[in-house]
Amino acid sequence: MPSPNARGFSSPIAINPSSPTASLFSRKKSSTAMSTAASYLSAVSQADARARKLTDTDSTTSTPALSLSSSVTSSSGETVLDESPLDNRDGLTYPKVPPTSEQVFGTVHTEFGHCGNEDHRFTAGFKPGDQWKPVIEQEPPHYILLSTYVSYLLLIVIGHLRDFIGKRLRPSEYKHLMKQDGYMALNSDFDSFYTRRLKLRIDDCFAYPTTGVPGRTILLIDRSSPDYNRTYVPVGTRTRALNISSYNYLGFAQGTGGCADAVEEGIHRYGVATCGARLEGASLDLHTQAEALIARFIGMEDALVSSMGFATNSTIIPALVSKGCLVISDELNHASIRFGVRLSGANVRMFKHNDMGALEQLLREVISQGQPKTHRPWKKILVIVEGLYSMEGTLVNLPAIVELKKKYKFYLFVDEAHSIGALGPNGRGVCDYFNMDPRSIDILMGTFTKSFGAAGGYISANKNIIDRLRTSGHSGAYAEAMSPPVLIQVMASMASIMGISIQQHDKAAAQSQQVIAYPGPTPSTALPPWMPLVPTMIDGSDGKMRLRRLAFNARYLNRALRRLGFITFSHDDSPVVPLLVFNPGKMAVFSRLMRTRATPIVVVVVAYPATPLITSRVRFCLSAAHTKEDVDTLLQACDEVGDLLDLKQGTGERWPLQEIMSRAVEIVNELP
Amino acid sequence: MSTTTAALEPVFTFLSYSYASLESSFFKIPGSHVVARYVRSSHQNDPGRTVLEIMLFIFAVRTLLQSRTRADHSGKHFIKFEEKEIDDLVDEWTPEPLAVDLSPKEKADLVSVPVIVGATGPKPKLTTGKTVLNLASYNFTGLAGNETINQKAIEVLKKYGLGSCGPPGFYGTQDVHIQLEKDIADFLGTEASIIYSQAFSTISSVIPAFSKRGDVIVADRGVNFAIQKGLQVSRSNIRWYDHNDLHSLEQVLESVEKERRKKGLPLTRRFIVTEGIFDCDGVMSDLPKLVELKLKYKYRLVLDESISFGSVGRTGRGLTELYNVPASQVDMLIGSVATGLAATGGFCAGSDIVVNHQRINGTSFVYSAAMPGLMAVAASEGINILRNTPSILSTLQENVRSIRAILDKVDCIHIPSHAASATIHLQIRLPSPALLAPNMIPPSPALSSSGRHSNPLSVIPRDPPQYDYDLEERLLQDIVEEALTQGVMLTRAKTLRGQELADVRPSIRIAVTSALSRKDCEKAAGVVKAAFVKIVGKRR
Ligand SMILES: Cc1ncc(COP(=O)(O)O)c(C=O)c1O
Repeated sequence: MPSPNARGFSSPIAINPSSPTASLFSRKKSSTAMSTAASYLSAVSQADARARKLTDTDSTTSTPALSLSSSVTSSSGETVLDESPLDNRDGLTYPKVPPTSEQVFGTVHTEFGHCGNEDHRFTAGFKPGDQWKPVIEQEPPHYILLSTYVSYLLLIVIGHLRDFIGKRLRPSEYKHLMKQDGYMALNSDFDSFYTRRLKLRIDDCFAYPTTGVPGRTILLIDRSSPDYNRTYVPVGTRTRALNISSYNYLGFAQGTGGCADAVEEGIHRYGVATCGARLEGASLDLHTQAEALIARFIGMEDALVSSMGFATNSTIIPALVSKGCLVISDELNHASIRFGVRLSGANVRMFKHNDMGALEQLLREVISQGQPKTHRPWKKILVIVEGLYSMEGTLVNLPAIVELKKKYKFYLFVDEAHSIGALGPNGRGVCDYFNMDPRSIDILMGTFTKSFGAAGGYISANKNIIDRLRTSGHSGAYAEAMSPPVLIQVMASMASIMGISIQQHDKAAAQSQQVIAYPGPTPSTALPPWMPLVPTMIDGSDGKMRLRRLAFNARYLNRALRRLGFITFSHDDSPVVPLLVFNPGKMAVFSRLMRTRATPIVVVVVAYPATPLITSRVRFCLSAAHTKEDVDTLLQACDEVGDLLDLKQGTGERWPLQEIMSRAVEIVNELP
Repeated sequence: MSTTTAALEPVFTFLSYSYASLESSFFKIPGSHVVARYVRSSHQNDPGRTVLEIMLFIFAVRTLLQSRTRADHSGKHFIKFEEKEIDDLVDEWTPEPLAVDLSPKEKADLVSVPVIVGATGPKPKLTTGKTVLNLASYNFTGLAGNETINQKAIEVLKKYGLGSCGPPGFYGTQDVHIQLEKDIADFLGTEASIIYSQAFSTISSVIPAFSKRGDVIVADRGVNFAIQKGLQVSRSNIRWYDHNDLHSLEQVLESVEKERRKKGLPLTRRFIVTEGIFDCDGVMSDLPKLVELKLKYKYRLVLDESISFGSVGRTGRGLTELYNVPASQVDMLIGSVATGLAATGGFCAGSDIVVNHQRINGTSFVYSAAMPGLMAVAASEGINILRNTPSILSTLQENVRSIRAILDKVDCIHIPSHAASATIHLQIRLPSPALLAPNMIPPSPALSSSGRHSNPLSVIPRDPPQYDYDLEERLLQDIVEEALTQGVMLTRAKTLRGQELADVRPSIRIAVTSALSRKDCEKAAGVVKAAFVKIVGKRR
């Protein structure tokens, strides 16, 4: 279907006049005036250097509307940090309320928002005696469900139709999907149908290139597509947007501040490379130090780091279970867990997301039945759950699982990728949140890509288990060891959350180290002696502030969205907040409308196959770097877009936006 | 179209008939009237469409209802128990411990791993206080600790922070990542490339992204562990050929094609999976011949250059540069940014189609955060340095030659590695008849063509070499420790015995670096030689 109207089919696109794919006008412009992607990119690094000297007042941030009409000559691209000092049209670069003379903020507002209001803080967590309350999943009205099905049906039918006609009219475009000269297609037309005919339509919402710190705001590298999202070309401008998408829960994605200083010093001392695998001559003293610190942070005996979060699961699970073992996995577990389980050769059963009744039922069945066919008893059973589910914002019902564990004698593996740092009064994850002993769980896994603003992951457990994993996990022998800058970022951010108790390197101090109990501060002797320490890191006030700001933001957004009438699945204290939009078309429009507002906002949209078919959603990831005003901005945007797209389908009490915004503190402190 | 529709008209009529009989129950479902009206009106226009839509609808409903958590009660092996019996069974069941404690040998191995204090490099300092010559770390081109790279990294740190805080699909793609992908593609001469955030997890995602159940993979018997995992996840039909024996490969390719013709099987995707320089022993693939075979039999070539990228070729581009084969002839060229460019991560280079497919289907690409921006820039800078300084690679090759010159002549050392390989594997050559140095030389073509091939379905070759694994491993470890006391850091090639598809013969793996002077290399090789003679010679 060659006609440009093909894209116009889904009416949503028409709503958004500045969508880069919408008009022929922008198409023409981009193909003539624009430099190629290649030359653009090679110019970036030079431009960076040049622009640092530049005092030019030419604005680098602009709304996409401006960027389309303005000429595209500025494609050399100025750097992230050099914005003209007075430009705050997007309302993101400077705080709306200027700081008073008493307030000193040590952060860059675009990276980590300035917020001096002590009321905008909160501490979330279970107190003794608190009971688990499941999140009630609200159902949308039937017409929404129906229209969602019909949308998919239409998309599928039209997709097949276009394939049918396209194959006849323009066979060359389908050549790579067909058998040719004795080669089977790498990707047959059937396999790629979903990608080509559904995802491609809204591909402008994915893989948006960015630059600079993925902090409170992010700089988008504006792009447009001359060929309906098949390829993109940068248009030469950048847009600063409020970033509600990055996994930057505690706001440690910063180019300045204590952690960055520590990393800089570390690169001087260690370089960036480790040159090989841990067991093959790439173990550094930093690895040992980091692992000890992590074990202390988590409250376990020992820990092991791995240079990739995904690989932490995919290379460690096979060392824990094998043929003859059973893995019981929550149905919504992350791909890395499934990958690892598949490699292990163990049998797998899944249970309905977070449904403890279903889990117990399943446990009774599998223990009584034993292995398939032979009915021999299972060697061991490993239950794998996540602490905070990244697509749902739901918390695992940890107290119930630990109860079941006592009775059914399975081993428990909790993936804390999203919850570590982000949950609990001390930032120590779900155990901390539920006020439970971390050692009541066998294996706690987590990643550093999220709360710590680093990369990689860890496993923590008893010493004998960790030693086994060091020896038999795939990472030790084959995967590159974690690199020094990453290790230092992990240690500095972790110390910042924990606080530091200054100690001397002597015998008496070694004694007193034992006394500092979980979840207390780290002794300074556990950190590299050369590491620069900022006073707010030492007294733990920096970490506390981050934890409390995140907890406030999370509760505020969750409760406010529900009061506005939206359907979300998330737990009140979850910094991951999915907003259900159901219709696939609305999902893309939502993303585009948010991105093209006067204050642009970037959000993540997810749909099938990452979620069940009908529950397409927008996912917000909050950060300690956001201020209450940022959440207000987001709420206002959601309110408007939600009205436009008919998204407010939730039941329950509704408040007007103004009231929610003015009574935010009250809303957050309200008992559930 | 209209004639087929007419021909199928009775079928449609029948279908709409049965549809009508379902109608009454259907209308009890809320919202059904809307659907019914829609279907009815569309039916009038085009009955064919009704069928298509109903089929699609049923398909959609089925997908929805197909619960992934459904229990299997119907199987004929299911035994029904009373609740009480289940309780008893639960009480009786005692699981094995989650992890088996380390054996004394494993413990000793773990303790013996040297730990570097401060930066790694050609002469690092260990926790023991000793400064050693480093023949263990992968630092072929000596980029580790390069000042320019460190400076660049710090600049990027200040602009981008450290982590990317998101997967590539969700705002984790930064301009520096796009730049590195472009740099790698330009460096190798492919259309495009894609970077993964860990080298080890690259190929194990690349293979299953393309090769699915039913597809055919012909793989070398000596492929590394990451490839083995990729093959396992792909669930494809695997055929094996003898390690680095292209005759054996050709026979397997021939037999696969014959089998397909005989059984009249449809054409599937077919891949040859092998390594450039093998991780297990340092032998090198004959790339021109591989390309010839893959073109002849219409396979796609997946080449793992994790060791060869950054260590052979005039500027370190790997096998394609060494053999002067255009990189576009290799369909999927996988390399390590971590070892080749002293940063982190891995890449897959290939055509636009190959690369774009992975952006959606490469599991560990899609579901993992993008690598830190400063690492991407460090790698880009590494490429820059390699491009502009061919002397790095010539120094490396000189160092390889000077080390080989000393070690090749030692009686008790067997070196299977290719003469140009910057990883040199040292195996033990024992003279006693029972443990005679195994036949590591690939069986001669004459022999294999005489009809006594290995079984392509088994990873074990027909005449597996005979050796005493434990003894060799112990001796090699003694050598490593002896060399360490003499100031040379070595490492055994660590493998996961029992998890590998087949045992890998124990060896000491030297990774030569261009950052050591010739004199240091000779000195280090001398120490290795002396250690071998001391430990193995004792037994002669
Ligand atoms: C639950 C879970 N585990 C593991 C990972 C992988 O982590 P990384 O991005 O560090 O590879 C993720 C990341 O999305 C995750 O959500």
